[in-house]
Amino acid sequence: MATTRAGGWLQGRTVRKGGALSSTNATRSSTPQQVQSTSSTIYGGGVKDPSGRTAEFFVRQSMDDQCPVCKSDRYLNPKLRLLVSSCYHKMCESCIDRLFTLGPAPCPICNKTLRKLAFTPQTFEDLTVEKEVAVRRRIAKNFNKRREDFPDLRGFNDYLETVEEITFNLINEIDLPETEARIQKYKAENAALTELNVQREEAYVRALREQEDQERRERETRAFELQREEEEERLLRESDKRSIIDKLETSDKDALKVIAKAKAQALKRSTARNASNSTAQSSALLLRSRAAQSNIVPDVPHAPFNDEYHAYESMFSLKSTYNDFMSDAVRKDREGIMRAGGYMVEEAWERAIRCAVAGLDLSPLVGLDDGIPRLPGLDDSGDVVMASA
Amino acid sequence: MDAVEQENSERQKKWLKDKKIGEGTYAVVYQGREAGTNRKIAIKKIKVGQFKDGLDMSAIREVKFLRELKHKNVIELLDVFSAKTNLNLVLEFLDSDLEMIIKDRSLVFLPSDIKSWVAMTFRGLEFCHRNWILHRDLKPNNLLIASDGHLKLADFGLAREYADPGYKMTHEVITRWYRPPELLYGAKYYGSAVDIWSVGCIFAELMLRIPYLPGGSDIDQLKTIFRALGSPTEEEWPGHTKLPNYVTVGQFPKPPLRDLFTAASADALNLLNKCLIYEPRKRITAKEALHHPYFFALPYPTHPSKLPKCSTKQDTPPLGEMDGNLNGKGRKRKLSSPDGKVRSIARKLDFGQVVAGSDG
Repeated sequence: MATTRAGGWLQGRTVRKGGALSSTNATRSSTPQQVQSTSSTIYGGGVKDPSGRTAEFFVRQSMDDQCPVCKSDRYLNPKLRLLVSSCYHKMCESCIDRLFTLGPAPCPICNKTLRKLAFTPQTFEDLTVEKEVAVRRRIAKNFNKRREDFPDLRGFNDYLETVEEITFNLINEIDLPETEARIQKYKAENAALTELNVQREEAYVRALREQEDQERRERETRAFELQREEEEERLLRESDKRSIIDKLETSDKDALKVIAKAKAQALKRSTARNASNSTAQSSALLLRSRAAQSNIVPDVPHAPFNDEYHAYESMFSLKSTYNDFMSDAVRKDREGIMRAGGYMVEEAWERAIRCAVAGLDLSPLVGLDDGIPRLPGLDDSGDVVMASA
Repeated sequence: MDAVEQENSERQKKWLKDKKIGEGTYAVVYQGREAGTNRKIAIKKIKVGQFKDGLDMSAIREVKFLRELKHKNVIELLDVFSAKTNLNLVLEFLDSDLEMIIKDRSLVFLPSDIKSWVAMTFRGLEFCHRNWILHRDLKPNNLLIASDGHLKLADFGLAREYADPGYKMTHEVITRWYRPPELLYGAKYYGSAVDIWSVGCIFAELMLRIPYLPGGSDIDQLKTIFRALGSPTEEEWPGHTKLPNYVTVGQFPKPPLRDLFTAASADALNLLNKCLIYEPRKRITAKEALHHPYFFALPYPTHPSKLPKCSTKQDTPPLGEMDGNLNGKGRKRKLSSPDGKVRSIARKLDFGQVVAGSDG
């Protein structure tokens, strides 16, 4: 009896997934829009995708929806909700409460011992699909090796073949004890790799979610920006119109000219705005064109100096201290006021020494008679050129 | 006419004034050209009459130092002459400055562009420092850009010799946002490190495209600096608490530079960090900076001719089309009746139709 009912479901009547339901079914306004549990128990499980978007399956419009155990149907109990046992038999929540509240009890249909918490909401219309999905989920949790984990394609394909075989056995209940043993053996052998792959998968999901968030934020900013621009433009147009009216009232110039002028101004403004927008947008383009340009005049490596001024530093050496009244002043400056400000007595010494030795190497001035006082020892950047250089 | 006057008038004839391009507190700047070659020049006319004590100090400084300095990255003083009671400085003409370029949002800076500008700044500054001259007013506004892209230090109105034995110097120099903490604390003995701090601020500004340490007042400037770079400790900067104008402005932690300069290379941040060391004696010198790995690393500094430039031209859309459209409506004749009074009323009455027609 129960199976024929269930079979009736499978014959392609209009069914809906609860979450995607809109309120078009006006035939029974009393039908609950949300699935409500009659008991306080919250049933976990069922099939969910990573985003949690998959919804529980249940039949709304069908009056034939009936609990196979107590035969109560949706007409008698509008809140009827059928859950699936671990042996893939359906029963209503009140039956579950009645039969399993006092601990594990045999299934009224197949006699397998069941627990209350092992019931799950139904996701798929076809219970064989429900079972297959559950089995595959269980298998995928452990058998999560990737192509990278195998040295060659052959090994990976063999592995996939094995996984498929185990899955098939579980679904169709062939050689169950032997298959379970195989799973246990695999689990023990590959615990570390499994864990690693789980972590990889989690990281991937996280990255995906972050990317989605980022994209959404960008879309929002763009939309906001666009709205703001439109608003601005509208205000501008209005103020333009008003100013035309004002001008026409007050001035006694030709009306057409006034309007034409205002229009021209508005056009100028809008093109300027568009131009500025497009420059902002085409900055990447600009960068690319700059990059292309770099081939015409090559950039040269950095050279610290373009002259040989520091070459003559080898011609003198600075002592670490001199007998100088300034060094006394700095030494006496107990609070370090001169030093804290960055004064360096060494610089004064260096300057004195440099002034004393600079130009020793230069040839005497010649050619003053041309009227322009030009030092012969200067190159075009005005730096001292060494006679030896 | 004695020999001096004759010489002066000869020089005066060499330079032609074209138009006024700017005015400061003590000078008016004209664009001009050289009589023979038509080379573009700038003439800075110093106003003399208004000052009781004769020439303004900054004019003297400018002439004094620019006569001495000749370098690719320092503005060139071509000539000096007097006309009537005015002093005229003939400078090479430079059309834009770094501030304009930083503020021009349509320009995109490559890391190599920044490297090139900073390298040229350091080169010009090194030249000043090797000649024992402090610039004391470095800011983007005073770094002029020649038409061939070369950057030149300008405005030597606050320049001064340094490393002379123990003279006090004023701490009221350098535009506030670029002023180092030792000057804010009123140090009267200082050295070339004050200019390096300014270059550090300019370097940061080139990367950020906004002023790095914009303080509202001298005290606020200290706060801004410490907020950005952390409060100095006695180990970091020995003796700073003894400086004449020392004030406590609160303790701030040191945030990593990387938080603000997210796209900068490690080399760039290292150089920036060394330019902004609190202890002036530990601050990098211009010569050391020019040997910093930042400048040698790839990408090479951009060749000056390829650096971004301000576009001064502005496009105006053609107006002819609009006029043509309106005239096409054929209402013009009707509106231009000879009687003025009637015309103005008529225009008001007719206006609605015009607007409705053209918007229509």
